[in-house]
Amino acid sequence: MIAAQTATEVGGQLLIVSVMVGAIRSGTSIFYAALGETISERAGVINVGTEGAMLAGALSAYAVTAETGNPWFGVVGAAVVGGALALLHAYLVIARGANQLANGLVIMFLGLGLTSLFGASYVSREINGFKPIAIPGLSSIPAVGDILFNHDPLTYLSFALGPAVWFLLFRTRWGLLLRGAGERATVLSSYGYSPEATRYIAVGMGGLLAGIGGAQLSTAVALTWFENMTQGRGFIAVALVIFASWHPLWAMGGAYLFGAALALGPELQVRNVGVNQFVLDALPYVMTLVVLIVLAKRSFQRAPEGLAEVFDAPPVS
Amino acid sequence: MTIMETPPRDEVVVVMETPSAKRGSDITRRAGGWALAYLGALAVFGAFMAVKGVNPFTAYRAMFESTLLDASSLSEVLIKAAPFLLAALAVAIPARGGLVNLGGEGQIVMGGVAAAGVALVFEGQMSSGLVMVAMLLGAVIAGALWAALAGVLRVAAGINEAISTLLLNYIAIDVLLYLISGPWKDRAGFGQLASKPLADETRLPTIGSDGRIHLGIFIAIGAAIGIWFLLRSTTWGFQLRVAGGNGEAARRAGLPVAKLLLSGLVVGGAMAGLAGAVHFAGVEGQLRPGMTFGFGYIGFLASWLAGHHPIRIAGAALLLGAIAVGGDSLQIDSGLPAASVNILMAFVLFAVLGKNPRLAGASR
Amino acid sequence: MRITTRWKRSLAVMAGATLLFSACGDSKDEKTTAKSDKPAAGKAVTPGVDGTAIGFIFVGPKDDFGYNQAAYDGSEAVKKAYPDLEVLQAENVPETAEAERVVEGMIKKGAKIIFTTSFGHKAYALKIAARHPDVAVLQQGNVIEGKIAANIGTFFGNVYEPVYLAGIAAGKATKSNKLGYVAAFPIPQTLLNINAFQRGAASVNPKAETYTVFTSSWCDPGKQADAAKSLLGQGIDVLTQHQDCTGTIIKTAEAAGAMSVGYHADASSLAPKGWITGSEWNWGPLYIDMVKTVLAGDFTGSKYHDNFRAGYKSDPAAGELSPLVQSIFGASVTDETKALVEKAKADISGAGSPFAGPVVDQDGMEMVPAGTIPSYADLESMDYLVKGVVGKMPS
Repeated sequence: MIAAQTATEVGGQLLIVSVMVGAIRSGTSIFYAALGETISERAGVINVGTEGAMLAGALSAYAVTAETGNPWFGVVGAAVVGGALALLHAYLVIARGANQLANGLVIMFLGLGLTSLFGASYVSREINGFKPIAIPGLSSIPAVGDILFNHDPLTYLSFALGPAVWFLLFRTRWGLLLRGAGERATVLSSYGYSPEATRYIAVGMGGLLAGIGGAQLSTAVALTWFENMTQGRGFIAVALVIFASWHPLWAMGGAYLFGAALALGPELQVRNVGVNQFVLDALPYVMTLVVLIVLAKRSFQRAPEGLAEVFDAPPVS
Repeated sequence: MTIMETPPRDEVVVVMETPSAKRGSDITRRAGGWALAYLGALAVFGAFMAVKGVNPFTAYRAMFESTLLDASSLSEVLIKAAPFLLAALAVAIPARGGLVNLGGEGQIVMGGVAAAGVALVFEGQMSSGLVMVAMLLGAVIAGALWAALAGVLRVAAGINEAISTLLLNYIAIDVLLYLISGPWKDRAGFGQLASKPLADETRLPTIGSDGRIHLGIFIAIGAAIGIWFLLRSTTWGFQLRVAGGNGEAARRAGLPVAKLLLSGLVVGGAMAGLAGAVHFAGVEGQLRPGMTFGFGYIGFLASWLAGHHPIRIAGAALLLGAIAVGGDSLQIDSGLPAASVNILMAFVLFAVLGKNPRLAGASR
Repeated sequence: MRITTRWKRSLAVMAGATLLFSACGDSKDEKTTAKSDKPAAGKAVTPGVDGTAIGFIFVGPKDDFGYNQAAYDGSEAVKKAYPDLEVLQAENVPETAEAERVVEGMIKKGAKIIFTTSFGHKAYALKIAARHPDVAVLQQGNVIEGKIAANIGTFFGNVYEPVYLAGIAAGKATKSNKLGYVAAFPIPQTLLNINAFQRGAASVNPKAETYTVFTSSWCDPGKQADAAKSLLGQGIDVLTQHQDCTGTIIKTAEAAGAMSVGYHADASSLAPKGWITGSEWNWGPLYIDMVKTVLAGDFTGSKYHDNFRAGYKSDPAAGELSPLVQSIFGASVTDETKALVEKAKADISGAGSPFAGPVVDQDGMEMVPAGTIPSYADLESMDYLVKGVVGKMPS
């Protein structure tokens, strides 16, 4: 009804189109982080510090872009810093026996502290960030062009990354090893592979992608650095991985769903509909819980076994 | 390793504790290890400060003097520590039953919401003492119910409580924001997102000349002692530990494992709810966005820092409270962003969590 | 669950202890009330006079191209004017009890003058003032209702006046007749700004409408980008805002080829093509004047000891300093527009007002009757949006 009403307005985009455009815009940074977390958790390591890696990525990308003038260098910086934070997590949980959930939270606080210490001088810096690139021809297709073919380069990259990670995890030997590290570590080691090494790589990749997610937020969407600017998007990513049952393509859909919930509020407001944003914000979490309930035990059969052990391990002996 | 041995596990699987031979009473060595951990954390953060052109020795001295050698700052530490302590108990109790409660944040929020709701309904209707008691009770119930949601999902549908409690955090925060932006918005608040302020006489009683320290820290310490006693000396505490150690064995022994696990989460949630009420009625006086930011997570870490031991948790809560207050000094005395104190906190925790595996998981 | 006798006993001990604490708390409570009555009766304390420091707290970072940067610059001006006093500055102080704690730390360091610079700091400013009768607390923005204590005052500028002028420039500049406003919360200051902007635009372009989005956050760049894109998607070609950090929205507008009206600080460098104009704070002179007033012991009963608002009607000769500056015009602004703005400025500096009646709200209700010029005080608690504003207040 709302859509019908606004379709007649001159210059107004259809609500559904606007929301889908917004879903991809707001969802992409979350998707990067969720994709990374999927890889990490598939190898049996949960990192709830994704928020910290995203923040560190957002600042690094912004700072490097400001210093070099090239946002792609910024992306590299974000990937390196995000990956480094994740490797610190990996070291502490794999080599030092730290609890994964607790240590992940510490990573989050570390990211917050580091970015507030080193970010202050970049708040007022300006950058030449990523700009949307309309794909010639395709971008002029009504609706579809706006939704899919008028984005920044990191968004296009993410379109490709979803299927690529799926392929990597489920169709390559390395993916088999990685999932093995998360499911049947002993089997892996009895074949002479090191599950630890695999885990380090997986966790590192997770942080790397979370960092790029932060980069997308600071250098392509907001074009600003601001203390604590991720505002919980990293935590959303952790919830999203569960929502998506540890599947990269579902994570993609889920990220856009979460993104749509973020985008719907302003889109309704400009159409003169009063909304309470917080009801919209809660929806994805409620939906995640509902999905868990509906799938119940089945969803946890999909969870990597190593991860299930992390959760089920008694924290006290 | 006193009560239950967990079944031997895959060596490579990452868990926080592996059964290891009990070490001798090497207290000095352990104390030395702790000191080293803290010194290491101070050194790392000091290096970061030096990179930013701040003399770490001057900064630490100012931080120490203005946080620990000053009566009013010490009272701020106690005020901060009260919700941290209760939030940590919310983690430690379910942990005794082998459950991971990541939902302290949400349970705290629901506790605060319930206390505010009680105040909205009953303020002016009953004596302020009764309203206070009702607020604390309401918060305890709300926190317990919010945790029970996760408990029921775990017991009935097998949904992992770490995940469900984490999700419930966000929902709780959105409930809070919805209420203060809509039905509970203070009409005299000029459009700000906040609930109606508590009347002065309904706030928790304070002590001391500056009227800042409130009853909350005593409630928290009382709760810690009570919980310590419950876990140590009651049948419930013993059974909870057995159920958490080896569910299958406990079941065979005829223990109501599902009920026990649920009760662990519920009592934990009650503590977190209390934290919300204490912070609401003792400090904030009105619901605001971000009023409990991170308390639940800091409580989670405090519990881990203390090996989930209720009495040691009190120490951990004080330590984390002092670090949080120390952030003010960094800002006022040294010109560094207050949030950078999180780096110091992080490295203290890394040092302790990474002390594989004895301290991370052990409890005596 | 079986409860042992030992447990029962300790429960009793705990209950006893609780009673003890609450009893002792009660008696102290009485004492504090008695204490707070004293200054009013005795008038012995002159707030703010013998401190060694001045404290400023800001809700955001000091260089946000916006509100906090403006306030920070003001505090730097105070530092320069009073080199003997230590100026303590704390950024990112949230509008929660954290604020109270940070200010307590400043008072401990010798501050007797405290500037709390965000709207939502008021609740804590009031508590600080009640606890420290010897400290002068200056609350920027917001309104204190009822009796105002001797050592606290609010001050602000009537920023809706330059926003009205910017609305005129925007109304002349728009081609789609659709203006966009990104706001945070429906507080009176914000509603005044949105309404003034719309009324300014409508005064020169009756077809102009202002589309409004509330983000429920003073600064969340991700949400700002969403709000700006949503507005641009509706064909809006001029964007303005009431946010603490302003960079994201201006950069988003510029990237989309839309025009920008700034707020809080000069951000024309962010929008070389689309900059129209904006409203800026220049707090320095006003802050310095306030400090001077306090140090002279003249704070009580002074013009800042009230819900003080300075605007275009202020008289510099009488020491009334408007903290507001209109930003430079962008290259695209025509001489005709500039003349219209100047005329309106002269009008509202004199007898006129952006809210000269009739003012009609979104539902068609007449809020200010025709022929009435509301005073600054009349407008202070505005709680409606005027006709021509598209969008609802969040509920």
